Amino acid sequence: MVPDLLILCGAGMLVTAYLMVGQKSLFMTIRLYGAQSLLLAVVAATMAVAEAHPHLFVMAAMTTVLKGFLIPWFLMRVVDRIGIHREIEPFLNVPASLLVCLGLTVVGYRVSTGFPEGAAGMTHHVIGVGLSTLMIGLFLMVTRKKAITQILALLTVENAVFLVALGITSGMPLVVELGIFFDVILAVLVLGILVRRIVDRFESMDISRLSRLKG
Amino acid sequence: MPLLVAMLLVPLVTAALGGIDAPRRVKEAIRLGGLSLTFALCLATASAFLDGGVPSAFGDALRVDGLSALVLVLCGFTGLLSAAYGVGYMRRNEARGLVTPRMRQEFDVLVPAYVFAMLLVAVSNNLGILWIAVELTTLASVFLVAFHNRDTSLEAAWKFLMLGSLGLAFALLGTVLLFASGQGRLGEGMSALHWTRFMELAPELHPFTLRLGVVFALIGYGTKAGLAPMHTWKPDAYREAPSPAGVLMAVGMLNGALYCLLRVHMISKAAIGPDFSGGLLLALGLLSVLVATPFILIQWDLKRLLAYSSIEHVGIMAVGIGLGADAAIFGALLHMTYHTFAKPLAFFSAGTLAQLHRSSDFATIGPGTLGRAPISSSLLLLAAMFITGSPPFSLFFSEMLILRAGFLGPNVVATSVFLAALVVIFCGFAYQIGRLLLGPQPAGAAQAVEPETLDFSLGTTLVTAAIAVITPVYLPAPLLALIHAAASLVSGGA
Repeated sequence: MVPDLLILCGAGMLVTAYLMVGQKSLFMTIRLYGAQSLLLAVVAATMAVAEAHPHLFVMAAMTTVLKGFLIPWFLMRVVDRIGIHREIEPFLNVPASLLVCLGLTVVGYRVSTGFPEGAAGMTHHVIGVGLSTLMIGLFLMVTRKKAITQILALLTVENAVFLVALGITSGMPLVVELGIFFDVILAVLVLGILVRRIVDRFESMDISRLSRLKG
Repeated sequence: MPLLVAMLLVPLVTAALGGIDAPRRVKEAIRLGGLSLTFALCLATASAFLDGGVPSAFGDALRVDGLSALVLVLCGFTGLLSAAYGVGYMRRNEARGLVTPRMRQEFDVLVPAYVFAMLLVAVSNNLGILWIAVELTTLASVFLVAFHNRDTSLEAAWKFLMLGSLGLAFALLGTVLLFASGQGRLGEGMSALHWTRFMELAPELHPFTLRLGVVFALIGYGTKAGLAPMHTWKPDAYREAPSPAGVLMAVGMLNGALYCLLRVHMISKAAIGPDFSGGLLLALGLLSVLVATPFILIQWDLKRLLAYSSIEHVGIMAVGIGLGADAAIFGALLHMTYHTFAKPLAFFSAGTLAQLHRSSDFATIGPGTLGRAPISSSLLLLAAMFITGSPPFSLFFSEMLILRAGFLGPNVVATSVFLAALVVIFCGFAYQIGRLLLGPQPAGAAQAVEPETLDFSLGTTLVTAAIAVITPVYLPAPLLALIHAAASLVSGGA
C-alpha cells in the first residue's frame, strides 16, 4: 500500500512535469506546479507515516502551504499584473520537446539503479522519477523564453531535488529543511521583483530579448 | 556572547541600520564603522584560533578551523575596503544624479548583508547551513548587480540569478546525495550534516552515491566560483555592479565559493582518495584558464576584462588544489591570499577610470588615459602587473609554486597547457592595458572628462595599493601561520 502510494505520487510529479512541457498557458503551468508540490507533500506525509519520521509532517505541511498555494498565488498575481498570459513558441517545438524528455526519463532511471536499495524497495523508483523530473526541469529552463516559465522550471528542479532527498534519505535534518524553505521563499520574492522591473523596463518578459551583453 | 556570534551579528546589525532614514554622513559612518568592527572581530576570531582554540557556536554548527580563519580574515578585509571605497564612489554618483537617496539606502542594506552571508559561509561547519549561506550571498547580491536599473543591469541580474539558482539547486542535490552516502550512519538531527562528522565517517560512505554527490556539489559551488563552463554570468555581473560591490563579488564571493569547493574536495579525498575530486577540479580549473584566454585578447570593456581575469584566477586556484601535491595546495591558498590583496586595486582604479569617463567601454575610455587621469591610470598599470603575475610581484610567486609542483608531479601535460595559457593571458592583458593607458589624447577628450580629485575613493585606492605592494615583501607572520594551517588541513596533515 505505502510503496504503491509513493510511486503513484512520484509518477504524478513526473506527469505534471511532462504537462508543463506541453503547456503554453502561463496560468495552467503555474497550476501544474502547484499540483506537483501537493503531490510532493503527499509523498512526504506518506513517508512520515510509513517510516515514523514525525519531522516529515512539518515538511509536508510547509510544502502544502508554501509551494502548493502561496508561491503559485504570488506568481499568478505577478502574471496578472503584467497581463501576459501565454508562452510564445519555445526554442524547440512541443512534440520534439516531449521526445527529448522521454530520453531524459530513460537516463534518469538508468542512473537511479546505481544507488543502494533503500527502505521498502521503492526508493529506486522514487529516485528515478526524481532525477527524470530534475532533468526535464533543466530542459524546460533552457528552451523557454518567458521569465515566469523559467522560474517555474527552476522551482520544478527544486521540487525534484526534494523528491530525490525523500527517496534516498527520508529527508534532511529539520533545521536545514526549514532554512531551505526560507531561502526558496526569499528567492521567489526576489525573482518576482526582478520580473516586474524587467517588464517595466522592456515592456515584455521575453528573456530572449535580454541579449545585449556578449563577449 | 561568543566572539563568533558577535562577528556575525555586527554586519547584520549594520545592514539593519542601513535601512533607517538618516543624514548621509551618519549612514556612511555606520557602514564604515560596522564593517571596521566586523574586520576587527574577524581578526580576533582568527587569533583565537591561532592561540590554539577552536571557536565554535550552536553545537559545532559554526566552527573555525584553519581554512575558515583564513577565509574569514580575507572576507572581512574585503568588506572593509569595499565600504571605504564605496563612500567616495557613492558621493560622486549621487552628485551626478545617477544614485538617488533611495538607491543609496538599498546599497547601505545590501553590502553589509552580503558581508554577513560571506562570513557565515566561512564559518559554517554544516553542509546544510553552508548551502543556505551561499544562497543568501546570491540573494543579497542580485540587487547589487541590478543596482543602476539599466537595460543591461537587469539582463545581467537575471542571468546571474537564474544561473546562480540553478547552480545552487545542483549544490543542494549534491548535499542531499552526500548525506545519503552516509546510509543513516551519520545519524539524525543537525549534527548529521556536520562537515566534521563526514570526515569521521569518510571511509564508510557509499562510493557511488558519494561520487555523484561530489560531482553535483562541485558543479553547483563551481557556478558560484565562476569556474568554466558555468562562468557566463560573471562578465555581465561585474560590468553592471557598482565597483564597491564588484570587489565583494570578485574577491569575497570567490574566496567563499572556493571554500565550499575545498570542503567538498576534502570529504571526497578522505573517502575515496584525492584523484576523483582532484581530477575534476584540475579539469574545471584548466578549462577556466583556457576559456578566459581568448576573451581577454578580444575584450572591449574594462570591467569585463577584470571578470575574465577573475575566471582565470579561480581557475589557477582550482588547478593548484587539483594537482594535489602539498606545495601546490599551499601555492593555491597563497594565491588566494595575494589575489585578495591585489584584485581590489584593479577594481578600484578601473572603477574610478570608468566613473570619470562615465563608461567602462574601451572605445569611450581609451586611448591615453595616462594623460587625463594619471594617478588612477598608474595604479591600474600596477594592478595589471600584479594580476598577470609578472615578476617580481606577489602573484608570480604563488603561480610559480603551483607550476613547479605541477611539473614535478604526474600532470606534466596539463601543467604545460596551463603555463602556455598563462603566458598568452599575460600578453593579452599587457596589450589591452597598453592600448587603454598609452597613445595620443583624442581631440577634446580632456574636456569631456572630470579631473581626478583626491577624495575618499582615491585615498582608499592608494591605501589598497600600499597594502598590495607591502604584503608580498612582508607577509604578517600570523597570516602566514593561517595559510600554513589551512594548507595542512587541506593536505590532510593535521
